[in-house]
Amino acid sequence: MLGLAVQMLRFRKGGFAATFIALAAGVMVLTVCGLLVESGLRYQGQSQRYAEAAAVVAQRDLTIAGPKMFGEQESTTLVLPEPGTVPAALVQRIAALPGVAGAVGDRSLPVVAMAAANTPATGHGWGSAALAPYRVVSGAPPRADGEIAVDGRLAAAGRLRPGATAEILVGGTAQRFRVSGVVEAPGPHGGKAALFFTDTRAALLDPRPGRVDAIGVLAEPGADRSEVAASVRRAVTGTGAKTYTGDELGLAEDPAATAARELVTQAGGAFGGYAALIIGFVVAATVGLSVRYRRRDLALLRAIAATPGQVRLLILGEAGMLSLLAAVVGVPAGIAATAWIRGELVTRGFIPDTFALRAGVLAAPAVVVAVAAVALVSAWIAARRATGIRPTEALGEAAVEASLGGRVRAVSGLVLLAVAVCLIALTGGLDGEAALGAAVSMLYTFVLAIALLAPWINMAAARLLAPVLRTVWRDSGYLAAANLRANARGMVAVLTALVLSVGFGGTVWFLQDNLERETVDQSRAGILAQHALVGAAGLPASAADEARRIPGVVAATGVRRTSVIVPMAFEGMAVVAQGIDPRGAEQTMDLRVLSGRLADLDGTSIAVSESRAQSSGWKLGENARLWLGDGTPVTLRVVAIYDRGLGFGDVTLSNETLAGHTATGRDDHVLIRTAPGADTTAALTSLAGRYPASAVTGTDRFTGELARDLAISAWLNKLLIAVLVGYAVLAAANTLVMAALSRRRELSLLRLVGVTRGQVRRMVYAEQSALLGVALSIGVAIAAVTLSSIVNAVAGRPIPYVPAAGWIIIVGGTAALALAATILPIGRVLRTRPVEGIGIRE
Amino acid sequence: MSMYQADDAVSVERVSKTYEGDQPVVALAEVDARFRRGTMTAVMGPSGSGKSTLLHCAAGLDRPTSGRVRIGATDLSSLSEKQLTRLRRDRVGFVFQAFNLVGALTVEQNIMLPSRLSGRRPDRAWVTEVVERVGLGGRLRHRPSELSGGQQQRVAIARALVTRPEVIFCDEPTGALDTQTAAEVLALLRSAVDQTGQTVIMVTHDPVAASYADRVVVFADGRIVQDMPQPGVQRIAEQLALLGRRQPVAAREG
Repeated sequence: MLGLAVQMLRFRKGGFAATFIALAAGVMVLTVCGLLVESGLRYQGQSQRYAEAAAVVAQRDLTIAGPKMFGEQESTTLVLPEPGTVPAALVQRIAALPGVAGAVGDRSLPVVAMAAANTPATGHGWGSAALAPYRVVSGAPPRADGEIAVDGRLAAAGRLRPGATAEILVGGTAQRFRVSGVVEAPGPHGGKAALFFTDTRAALLDPRPGRVDAIGVLAEPGADRSEVAASVRRAVTGTGAKTYTGDELGLAEDPAATAARELVTQAGGAFGGYAALIIGFVVAATVGLSVRYRRRDLALLRAIAATPGQVRLLILGEAGMLSLLAAVVGVPAGIAATAWIRGELVTRGFIPDTFALRAGVLAAPAVVVAVAAVALVSAWIAARRATGIRPTEALGEAAVEASLGGRVRAVSGLVLLAVAVCLIALTGGLDGEAALGAAVSMLYTFVLAIALLAPWINMAAARLLAPVLRTVWRDSGYLAAANLRANARGMVAVLTALVLSVGFGGTVWFLQDNLERETVDQSRAGILAQHALVGAAGLPASAADEARRIPGVVAATGVRRTSVIVPMAFEGMAVVAQGIDPRGAEQTMDLRVLSGRLADLDGTSIAVSESRAQSSGWKLGENARLWLGDGTPVTLRVVAIYDRGLGFGDVTLSNETLAGHTATGRDDHVLIRTAPGADTTAALTSLAGRYPASAVTGTDRFTGELARDLAISAWLNKLLIAVLVGYAVLAAANTLVMAALSRRRELSLLRLVGVTRGQVRRMVYAEQSALLGVALSIGVAIAAVTLSSIVNAVAGRPIPYVPAAGWIIIVGGTAALALAATILPIGRVLRTRPVEGIGIRE
Repeated sequence: MSMYQADDAVSVERVSKTYEGDQPVVALAEVDARFRRGTMTAVMGPSGSGKSTLLHCAAGLDRPTSGRVRIGATDLSSLSEKQLTRLRRDRVGFVFQAFNLVGALTVEQNIMLPSRLSGRRPDRAWVTEVVERVGLGGRLRHRPSELSGGQQQRVAIARALVTRPEVIFCDEPTGALDTQTAAEVLALLRSAVDQTGQTVIMVTHDPVAASYADRVVVFADGRIVQDMPQPGVQRIAEQLALLGRRQPVAAREG
């Protein structure tokens, strides 16, 4: 039977092209997802500075206990948005453990060497150099507080030699150091270059007193390293810190590695889920179609010799072989695409350069098996339908059109549609994340319902549109309506794919635009200050104080951007937060406070956005329990609830609360409000001059920068959506081309009985307008409903913003699809002489 | 009581076939017929008379609503779909009006298809003989689309002969052919009866084609209305003309 399947494939290359393309593209998309997940899971950063350590104690993530389910304690683990710290007191305790030669508290301070500003670097105390270990290549280790040692990377980039003077930006101020030596560690480079202060200097510069970033443990020579690690693990139990050993050391060394791992794994996994769903739909539709177009061949086989089982086997054999071929093309294409995505992610700063793609020894076979399984299951379903082909069909002139679909399909479609409609009401009553979640389920339910009901929708559309088509295109329209009725089942894939692309793509794509726009709007409307002092390396609190002293300045507010972890129903979530200096803050920013007073904000309290308060169940005057960015649990009283959560962050804290809990311990910018008419330009410029890497900008430009940040993070989302929509459109195009080319005989017949070429062409236009018009309308309707409920919930505006370019892409894209996938192939079909066309077997 | 007799290749016993629908159509009404081994029978009648339905039921392509069909001693009503297929593959050959061949396969592969599907080695010498007889020696590697209509029919006949079936069912085997080519195809079918003792049951409209048969059975309204042993072309034509005057052509294609 396989031999026969091979021959069928070779003979009907065109007919199988659609299935092959759908499968190959599916393998490619899923390979990308699989590779991302696998690489993410296996990525552990690159450890250089900790290479010699037997174990490293650090806190990089936070585990939140959830509810008990079925007697098991559920818990979620979140990557900390700010580098977590461990108590410095632990160093002594660990050092005293048996087998431990020494324990070093390592501080990682964000530093910029002005001579090598483009090389990302961190500063440490010299004590931690032993963990690599770093050896002095030239010069000497830092001994006095004015001295530093730099690693080879930094030395080369900044041309720093022992004895040279280097200007280092640390803690928001530029300081001059003498380079005492150049050091180098064995092994490949880690994520960032290293720079060493003396231990005392490092402790002074660290904004988190009594805490260290990590504790490196050196084992005594001859001690069993795994035993040492185990005793360290026991010693730190209960502190929230984790003990890293072996390959995991890279995760402890570079917090960005943990974040990257998380981002890549989640993006790949979530996207893989959507992709699998869509690929399943498309593959099932195209395989089903390839059987439909061969009913007569299959009926003939049944009549002369083949048992139903053999016909099923033939179809399964074809699908299996196509899957293998698709894997041959799809896997390498997927690997290439993943390499490109990795490059883009690195360039955009989502992941560090040390992030390596794994060859996918697990992912690629898993993907191939998954796609083959989808193809075989679809083929099995199609084959079961083919078994219903009566052998007598081989004898008849025309293959009999199958019925529209089973009762189960109709009923489940209607049930889903009803559920989706109910979800509209539900989404309208919710706010924030809950609404977002409900809207996404609504989107899926709608698309699924439409996919199931597609045959009847096509039929109903053909009936309803018949008078319209007749009026517009007359005789051609009459024929078109008849064809639409007859092909209601065949065009199911087209309807589903288009509704999916427009509904799904439209919602997610424009949601990004709406969020960006809302963010910019809120931020622009809410910032009352005219100027902002922005410091790339952070600004000390003195900057805001100095700004306040400038004559003509009404108020100045130091702002820190951070994230905090808030509890949700069953888990926790990191949300954007800002730390402010509450003094006079109401004069620089208007958060549109709905209840309470922002002026009451202090070290024991918090202000939250309305949607956050609702999702986390916080009320004014009550206590809110949450975790700061570094994982420190805090309980703060809610003193204000405000509206502009998107523009300013869902949580507003006092800088006092954040002290010692952010990496830099400095403000990111200072908002400065000046009195009308006051000329403060010169004073502000000189203020900026006193703080390195800082500049004063108008707040109008400042919001523009905010939007650009958001646009970059939307890039990944939009890329994923573009791929999915592209895939669905490809499937629609496939179906249309196959349908168009299989109509040679029919169109020849029409021309022989006196329909002119122009009339045939108009008939095809009419069919396309009706089919694509219906699909487009349903897709747009679904997108509109979903989008407006989300935008209403998030931004409080009932009408979502859709850029003009969006409309042009949707409508233009559909028209282009119709042109490329039907009108051009039909044009080709019409060029053959009708007498020749009639003789051709379909 | 059984009507079965050992020299029957095919027998149908009180066979009815009704097509369900808004207006049920009775295609066969309690038809009794027996076809002896080594004979060629033409089944005739106007469109919608039930002659094609009889062929489908007798060949095991379709199941009658009621009644019994036998091929040899085998009662088809007791067979599963799979067993029916096996029976068609081993004991029945088919020649249809058109679309007889699988386009993906060469002439040779089409001829060998039943043996291939049954997983049995064909008798090479017999295959060569059959191919010689239908005159396709030089065209075994061609695809059906490269052949004329007559050649395609000859491939179908070769396929029907190669498994040495007991019965060959033909549905308008010459319907799409010119007179000369039709004569060649009919001569081939006749020789299958005369030389190898096979049984041929052939539905046709054409009195000339029917004149090759040993017996002509005429259908009207789902019943046998005439059963004529070796009538001439003249008599067949007269009978058909009579039927044509008697009733309008039914809408349903039988």
